Amino acid sequence: MYGGRRPCTLCGMTEDKNVVRLQDVRKEYGDTTALDGVNLEIRAGEAVAVMGPSGCGKSTLLNMVAGLDRPTSGTVVVQGEDLGELNETRRALFRRHRIGMVFQFFNLLDDLPALDNVALAAQLVGTPARQARARALELLGELGVADRRNLYPATLSGGERQRVAVARALMNRPALLLADEPTGALDSRSGEQVMDLLLDLNQIGQTLLIVTHDQRLADRCASRVVELADGRVIRERALERTA
Amino acid sequence: MSAVWRAARAAVRRRRLQTTVIGIVVGLSSMLIVVGLALVGATFGPFDQAYTQQQGAHLVASFDGGKATGAALADSAHRSGVSAAAGPFGQATVEMTIAPDQPRMVMTVVGRDRPDTAVDKVHVWQGRWVAGPGEIVIDAEPTADPPSRLDTVTLGDGRTVKVVGFAYTVSHSAQAWVSSEEMRALRPTTQQMLYRFTAAATAAEISAGQAAVTAGMPAGALLGTQSYLTLRANAELSAGIFVPFLMIFGCFGLVVAVLIVANVISGAVVAGLRHIGVLKALGFTPNQVMAVYLTMVLLPTVAAAVLGTILGNVLAMTVLSSAFFESYGAGAFHVAPWVTITALLGVPVLVGLTALLSSVRARRLSAVEAISAGSAPRRGRGLLVQRWLGGTRLPRAVSLGVGLPLARPARSALTSAAVLLGVAGVTVAIGLSGSVTAYVDADTRADAVQVEVRPARGGPTLGDQADESMLRALPGAERVVARKELTMRWIGGPGPAEVRFYRGSDAGYEMLKGRWPTAAGEVAVSSRFLTQSGLALGGTFTLEGDGGRLPVRVVGEVLMGAAEPVLANWATLTRMAPGSRADAYEVKLAAGADDSAYVAAVTAGDPGLRARPTRVPGSVIAAIYSTITVLTLLLGAVAALGVFNTVVLNVRERRRDLGTLKSIGMTPRQVVLMMVTSMAALGLAGGLAGIPIGVVFQRYAMNAIAHAAQIVIPDHMLDLYSAPIVVLLVLAGAVIAAAGAFLPSRSAARLTIADALRTE
Ligand SMILES: Nc1ncnc2c1ncn2[C@@H]1O[C@H](COP(=O)(O)OP(=O)(O)OP(=O)(O)O)[C@@H](O)[C@H]1O
Ligand SMILES: [Mg+2]
Repeated sequence: MYGGRRPCTLCGMTEDKNVVRLQDVRKEYGDTTALDGVNLEIRAGEAVAVMGPSGCGKSTLLNMVAGLDRPTSGTVVVQGEDLGELNETRRALFRRHRIGMVFQFFNLLDDLPALDNVALAAQLVGTPARQARARALELLGELGVADRRNLYPATLSGGERQRVAVARALMNRPALLLADEPTGALDSRSGEQVMDLLLDLNQIGQTLLIVTHDQRLADRCASRVVELADGRVIRERALERTA
Repeated sequence: MSAVWRAARAAVRRRRLQTTVIGIVVGLSSMLIVVGLALVGATFGPFDQAYTQQQGAHLVASFDGGKATGAALADSAHRSGVSAAAGPFGQATVEMTIAPDQPRMVMTVVGRDRPDTAVDKVHVWQGRWVAGPGEIVIDAEPTADPPSRLDTVTLGDGRTVKVVGFAYTVSHSAQAWVSSEEMRALRPTTQQMLYRFTAAATAAEISAGQAAVTAGMPAGALLGTQSYLTLRANAELSAGIFVPFLMIFGCFGLVVAVLIVANVISGAVVAGLRHIGVLKALGFTPNQVMAVYLTMVLLPTVAAAVLGTILGNVLAMTVLSSAFFESYGAGAFHVAPWVTITALLGVPVLVGLTALLSSVRARRLSAVEAISAGSAPRRGRGLLVQRWLGGTRLPRAVSLGVGLPLARPARSALTSAAVLLGVAGVTVAIGLSGSVTAYVDADTRADAVQVEVRPARGGPTLGDQADESMLRALPGAERVVARKELTMRWIGGPGPAEVRFYRGSDAGYEMLKGRWPTAAGEVAVSSRFLTQSGLALGGTFTLEGDGGRLPVRVVGEVLMGAAEPVLANWATLTRMAPGSRADAYEVKLAAGADDSAYVAAVTAGDPGLRARPTRVPGSVIAAIYSTITVLTLLLGAVAALGVFNTVVLNVRERRRDLGTLKSIGMTPRQVVLMMVTSMAALGLAGGLAGIPIGVVFQRYAMNAIAHAAQIVIPDHMLDLYSAPIVVLLVLAGAVIAAAGAFLPSRSAARLTIADALRTE
């Protein structure tokens, strides 16, 4: 389905080792400047944490990378695709195949049980229901919530919900997993479980971009921390992971 | 109170789209209601309305000028029971030639200096009234294209007068008018008086009035009278078929409008539940919350009701003027004040009541319940169905869409009710207009007779049989039947009987029961004739003419609308009046033959014959069609708006879900597909349920029409719903729904995901 220009997947990312490359990205909402000339590169296999005070533009940055919103100026290239050049449909297809997203408040569909929430991501691509559910079950199993597959989101605990959400994000084997405060709505124990999960994923090669307030999450999972303030990158540092 | 006002105003401003939808639905509904009510009002008595408008005469009386003096006539206007009078006017029977090639005609001419007398305010619809001698105004029903060639008329004495105008009198008081000075020159022997009585509802009351005005006059002073009840009976007979028809459709539109307004308003309240919770949390009392809601809904409602009523007036006037202009000559149609007032007050009151009922729920809800409305864990069968759908082979966007209505069963039910009524309306419209067309075609024998040939003045040059053969031999003729009409006494019947004798085949009448008369002494009659005479098929009665008496047997029941002659064949005529020649020939033309070419050929074949096409312009039917079309379109539009509103509400509630779906890669096209599918499913359901309702309603309506007009409508004119039409109607539901869903779905597809996910 995702036809057309696909230089990276075909050539094995030889022309550009970066999964993400932001160049001079600005985003303005009316008078507010959410991002003010951000440059950022993320290589395959990295786990990058974006930190900074509330309102500094972290979520905006993540949305740019996911192609959920367009920058006012600057370029966003993800896996060789210049998102600025894609129309709405192509960006949807791009997200479908390259990006997995995890949100602070889970964003599961209330009307579907856990299993179908996860399967949905593959079904949108056209995977038959049976196959999609089989893979969804496999993922739920790996994330330790297989026994919750028939429950509806409203009856799951926060940590369970977030694991279901992570399963959904991984459904189409994305090149890049984005997480916006994935532990923000969880108690510390559930939060730690999700952190472990992300760390495990990164260790088997999943590229991560995590937005967080949580120093512990950054310390534990990230190989690099990018600090934002007022829409600008003020500091970048590589981390020695504690785990 | 000011807090309520401020909250309501803020709500209106924030919900611009919803406010707009309420406005449009209320506006369209008000239009529908005005047109519907105006229709009901108009059909209650277009004749009466025309009569009232013209102050028509209840009694037109002709007096012998030699026996009734001018003073006596003037005095008769002041008798008790007379509410208004006009006259005396000189009246003469004048021979005149309208065009050199036309036969002379005999007309009743009245000398009148003004058209707008206290009684019988004649409607001058073309030109002007007579201003002095040498001028004449001709009575004619208003038509779209007045005869422009008529500029002078030659009177019997050879003088030529100028036609200065055309006018129409519902009272049928004259066929032409001249000035009183011109009339004196004609030496009238007759004086005309026009009366209106305080009581004129029954024949007895008219007779009492007549007795009052003629009291004290010498015997023989009164030459003749014409009662308005006779005119009314004739008018009603011809309008009979359309009156209930228009009335029912008007009522139908009304009910639909009411239901859809209810749908939209309760939807608005349900959509506002969370807002209600916030208001309660802020400390608004339950009553204040209700007040906020009522104000929020009533602001756009009042504005739209005013606008819709005005537009409805314009529309009703346009549509109904053309419907009644020609048939009753009532002049321009005016919407009765009560219609406007009803729409102006009724619609907001109705909307207010609906909002009140829906907001009672809001009032009862606790703040927490209200705030969490929509995101609470759902239970029930809907979820199971959704789960089952997720496992089907349908594209996921489609199966999600089909499942969507299950999340809000009440709203979905109301929406499909809107579509259902829309489809039912379309069904009724198609069925009714089809049935009426079929009936009118059968009644006018549109398929059987295209040209009628009569002897011109001076008589035909060929013999009866020779003329018939000639007509049959002309190119284009498919069938020719000869006809003779006689007025005969119906022994024991309520009055004379008009008898039509046919030579040839059955003349194209639609037989309801029995068969066409084939032997002497056999007749076929209308259903109303049977009802009124108490006769049944096979029954006998006796006709009497100059040739003596003849008992006849009813062998057939025939479809006939207004006119209802007794039909017999030529053998019967030979018994009654041997040697009669036909006074008309009815010609059926071959398909595609040109009637005007045939007409010309007839005159060439026998200059003593005059042929005319029977094709009726069909203005009334056309007007009725345009009325139905307007109502149907309004119904469809309002139903589509109901769907539009539902999708807007669904999208607003599900912004977050939509954002989520898009974030995991749902394309804009899939979003549109999902939302349109969700409504198309409802539309299909509504369409399926709407058709039987429409069919039942159409049956009911046609029965009411048949009953009111005392006619029998054969079944084949009712069963108009063939398989392809049914399929189209089912699709109509889906189309109405999809049309309503498309725009909001597209805006849902364009929703910026980041924004959608930011909400809470
Ligand atoms: N859709 C929008 N419309 C208007 N302003 C916006 C929009 N999205 C973000 N902003 C503004 O842009 C700035 C950055 O917002 P963003 O959500 O990226 O902050 P953040 O770093 O994620 O904050 P938090 O840690 O609170 O989530 C803020 O000032 C915010 O008000
Ligand atoms: Mg944020």
